[in-house]
Amino acid sequence: MNNTFNIQRFGLLLKRQWLEFGKIYLITLAVALGVIVTFYSFSLWGYIAETKPFYERALNFREPLFLIFGFLFITVIASNYFAHLGQKPKAIIDLMIPASTFEKFLTGIFFTAILSTVSFIFIFYVTDLAFLAKLRSVYHSSSTRTSYTDAQGAVAIVVDNLAYFFSKNGPHVYKGLYIIPFFVTSIFLLGSIYFNKFHYIKTTISAMVFSGIWTAIIFKSGKLLFDNRTLINRMGNNGPAKDNVELCLALLLVLLTLIFWSITYVRLKEKQV
Amino acid sequence: MIKINNLNFGYRKNQLLFKNMSMQLSTGHIYGLLGKNGAGKSTLLKNIAGLVYADSGSMDVMGYDPSKRQPALLTEICFIPEEFYLPSIKIDAFVKANAAFYPNFDHPYFTALLAEFDIPVTQKLIDMSYGQKKKVIIAFGLATQAKLVIMDEPTNGLDIPSKAQFRKIMASALTEDRCIIISTHQVRDLDNLIDTVIMLDENSVALKASVEEITNRLCFKRVKELDDKVIYAEPSLAGYNAVMQNFHQEDSKLDLELLFNAVLAEKNKLKPIFN
Repeated sequence: MNNTFNIQRFGLLLKRQWLEFGKIYLITLAVALGVIVTFYSFSLWGYIAETKPFYERALNFREPLFLIFGFLFITVIASNYFAHLGQKPKAIIDLMIPASTFEKFLTGIFFTAILSTVSFIFIFYVTDLAFLAKLRSVYHSSSTRTSYTDAQGAVAIVVDNLAYFFSKNGPHVYKGLYIIPFFVTSIFLLGSIYFNKFHYIKTTISAMVFSGIWTAIIFKSGKLLFDNRTLINRMGNNGPAKDNVELCLALLLVLLTLIFWSITYVRLKEKQV
Repeated sequence: MIKINNLNFGYRKNQLLFKNMSMQLSTGHIYGLLGKNGAGKSTLLKNIAGLVYADSGSMDVMGYDPSKRQPALLTEICFIPEEFYLPSIKIDAFVKANAAFYPNFDHPYFTALLAEFDIPVTQKLIDMSYGQKKKVIIAFGLATQAKLVIMDEPTNGLDIPSKAQFRKIMASALTEDRCIIISTHQVRDLDNLIDTVIMLDENSVALKASVEEITNRLCFKRVKELDDKVIYAEPSLAGYNAVMQNFHQEDSKLDLELLFNAVLAEKNKLKPIFN
């Protein structure tokens, strides 16, 4: 018997977690869907009912809704995942289940980083699709504008005023953004096993304190290194230096995510009741 | 099956609960683990199950280190804790979610145990009484066919008929390749069930002896007056219930409660008898 990883045992563990927490998970997802639909209805109902003229900026609520509510959704799920291990009766049952610590940890990653992110994106996508499809059936979605950014001067371009959220906001400009949900959930997953009570609040405060200290260190060291010196930028804002910074930032996020996951694994391995 | 060697454990660094504890437990026995409140009965069981880690010393359970929590060992351990949690699902869903982890899980046996315990199978686990939940978890644990069965205060919350059922079921659950350890402070619940007594006191094992060994060396009887032969006695209606050294190989029934109090009160007198 492989005592570290067995695909069949991992499947059983996923199934067990789903049978125990699936119902609560689906209820949470339904609540999230309700909140998103409410926001869309509240913001767009007047336009759908054609009681007021449509402006493109009426859709501007989507970005903050996706970012703030999406952050809350995935962090709340991650923050609750190992929270029950703080309670002796629940911890005993879970730790005695014949699966390896690594499998239990991977199940945590699946439910918090992958399933929660994918399901939130899915419900947001479906809601956006439904409302935008309705709006597009009522209003003309495209308009012509003059662009002056082309090398040839003024050029007429066709703009989609009713673009679907994910066609407008895909992370094609900076692919490093794909790591963000993993990074955020890794912090809250660690918090869920590190603290015994009030996981969300304690993790949030800890993250704020650490990021505050980090910002202060970066700011102070930057000031120490670059104060009274002249910046020489030969490449402009879109040169290789920008790509390097973006790559470094993505690598840093990957590294931090891996570190948080590693600490979570060690905490799970060392968990005592 | 279980080898404990110089185990040192404490919840605080400077306050050890076990000091250099050594013990061996083998298959084919039902061990009764007794001790005062705070003596470390539950903690010893948790050490064996790998739920807490020793400060030093070694623990070997079926050739595995329990602190590593390897699936191969966990499939062979059935741990019934005193406090437990069962999710808000029905019994069949619970079995569906958990039984597959145990390759030898015996479904007909589980059904038979539920019937014997008179458990309403269609009811949700969360809606059951504490005693009913305990019976479900005991039935599930035994049906896993695990070789090591660890029970912490299993009779707590069971009504009088259920305690008798429990004793009967546990007696029939013992096989040659199985080791059962039951911790309790309700010693009467283990009457006629356990075959070996382990008593914990003052950071170590105060007594580990089989029932046969105990009744061969000690005699439990009612006396009218106390004399030098009496090691420990408690007043009763018609004299005293006394523990004496069994010089004449008299047959007597083990009184666990009396033995327990005797060990705590007269440890120095009893130690040479069992060494």
